[in-house]
Amino acid sequence: MNTVVSVTNFSLKLGDKQIVKELNFEVKKGEVFAFLGANGSGKTSTIRSLLNIYEPTNGELLINGKPYSADRATVVGYLPEERGLYTRISAIDNLIYFGEMKGLSRAEARVKGLAFLEEVGLGEKANLKLKKLSGGQQQKVQLGVAIMGDPDLLILDEPTKGLDPINRKLLLDIVDAHQKNGAAVIYVTHLMEEVERLADRLLILKDGEAKAYGTVAEVKKKLKVKTIEEAFVTIYDDTLEEK
Amino acid sequence: MIALPLIIGVVFLLVFISDKASTDRLDSLANEIKNVAIVDESGYVPARVIEAGGQQSRPASDLSELKQEVAEGKLNGLIHYPADLTESKNFEVFVNSTDLSRVQTVQSLADSLLQASLFAPLGSADVIALAQNGASSTLVTYENGKVSPGFNKYIVPGMFALAFYLILFFSIGYILTSISEEKENRSMEMALTYLRPRLLILGKLIGVILVTLTQLAFMGALIAIALLLLTQTDALTLQLPAGIDLAKLVFDPVAIFFGAGFLIAGFMLYAGLMAITAAALPARQANAFSSVFYIAGFAPFYMIQLILTDPTNPVTTFVTFFPLTSPIVSLVRNTVGNMGIAESSLALATMTAFMLLAVWLAVKIFPKGALEYQNALSFKSLFRS
Repeated sequence: MNTVVSVTNFSLKLGDKQIVKELNFEVKKGEVFAFLGANGSGKTSTIRSLLNIYEPTNGELLINGKPYSADRATVVGYLPEERGLYTRISAIDNLIYFGEMKGLSRAEARVKGLAFLEEVGLGEKANLKLKKLSGGQQQKVQLGVAIMGDPDLLILDEPTKGLDPINRKLLLDIVDAHQKNGAAVIYVTHLMEEVERLADRLLILKDGEAKAYGTVAEVKKKLKVKTIEEAFVTIYDDTLEEK
Repeated sequence: MIALPLIIGVVFLLVFISDKASTDRLDSLANEIKNVAIVDESGYVPARVIEAGGQQSRPASDLSELKQEVAEGKLNGLIHYPADLTESKNFEVFVNSTDLSRVQTVQSLADSLLQASLFAPLGSADVIALAQNGASSTLVTYENGKVSPGFNKYIVPGMFALAFYLILFFSIGYILTSISEEKENRSMEMALTYLRPRLLILGKLIGVILVTLTQLAFMGALIAIALLLLTQTDALTLQLPAGIDLAKLVFDPVAIFFGAGFLIAGFMLYAGLMAITAAALPARQANAFSSVFYIAGFAPFYMIQLILTDPTNPVTTFVTFFPLTSPIVSLVRNTVGNMGIAESSLALATMTAFMLLAVWLAVKIFPKGALEYQNALSFKSLFRS
């Protein structure tokens, strides 16, 4: 099966507010799918619905042909926008804990966790409590949790937020490597240069509706722009003009 | 986890040591206090009693001079029993010191002299001791024509009520804290990706149960060690009140069954309510709101007389079945045995139903509330997707 994520006629209403309306998109194996939109456009709500944290009002969201459930935790690696790990335990213990939740054995999770920490320059800090690490270092640990177990689908919500350029590059290289291994990546970002560098296809969301969808080239051609940033501004231009 | 019972154990140990130390100090002072003048104008404290206590009896005419001698330090103390002692019920004590132990000793001497003098006409020391200290009683009660075990039958079911209070104060709050902390540090979204909400909440409940059992076991061990040490030092002769005899405890299977049932259902009910509170509210609001549950745990004691003496009263029935008060009221009533099997079964069934509802609600709102970091969940949103 080439399609990892399939979203069909997805709508979400939370309380009285329509968050997402009739959304349709697919993410294929081995591609980076950029999921773009202004704050409050419905990106995180869509992701949470895909992960069965929110129940969709309508439509279907499938991962590898089936709705996601926690029983299939090995399939997904998620790096949420709201960073959060257990700060009173060490970096390696966080990785082991979530690794076991994702179906790895304790020993496997420890080996992979230590290898990851070495790769990102935190090998010597593996046994430090997470609260003793800087924000950027904690973010790297959280990425490690997401990629633990080599999931089929990586969902990264603003993964480079708050990172310096060196660590940004390191992180993007890691994402690249996982993509080349066949993982599908849903990438949420506000940095258009990352989209230009990484994305194969993209979707721009505005007020819960898809306003642009397709390959990077297709979107640029359709909106008659040279960069994705221009495409984004074009779509949101109406709102700017109103203001 | 064991820090709290350990701290309590250390506090009790310090209190015991300080009590013993202060008693020893007072005993020592009592042996040292001499040179105290006694002036008795009431006629109730004979000279022989004063002299038997190692003190000196002086006439009333010397009162002013004696006060001066105390002030100058020539006397350690002066006790004056006035002529109108029976009307005023007040005597005077003058002490040449501000040391609290010394002052207390002279005052105790004055009390003791007066009491000994008042009881002296009874004659024998045994009769005087009986008049002063009273006697213990052996209680025999009858039930259905047979000798009943009395208070001994309340001990075992009473343990369940005691356990509930220990759990309420030491453990239920962990549920609130664990959920609130995960919301505060934003780890909830990660956890919800890989675990079903039901599993997450049950995991927290099981964790709290294990912590509670460990704390109870640790407290029990501390108490057992303390009792063992005290009996070894011969310092303790256990005399339990109301004729309680640990060798005659009653293990009523019905009372035990319902005691255990109320304890477990009550604990899970409160745990579910705490989980709902922590999930639905931001941390600070949740902490404040949780005090409602602690108040509800104590509220029945304001009507304890009614609960114990009038089980058919509508108020008693209401608090037996109202979810927030049901656990403790049912446990207390089960302890004293004023709940029949039918009523106990109905109370347990009702409590269990509320418990299941609370846990179900907690599981339902948990994913929604867990990701609301700043705002409380609205009531409407609880029941909408």
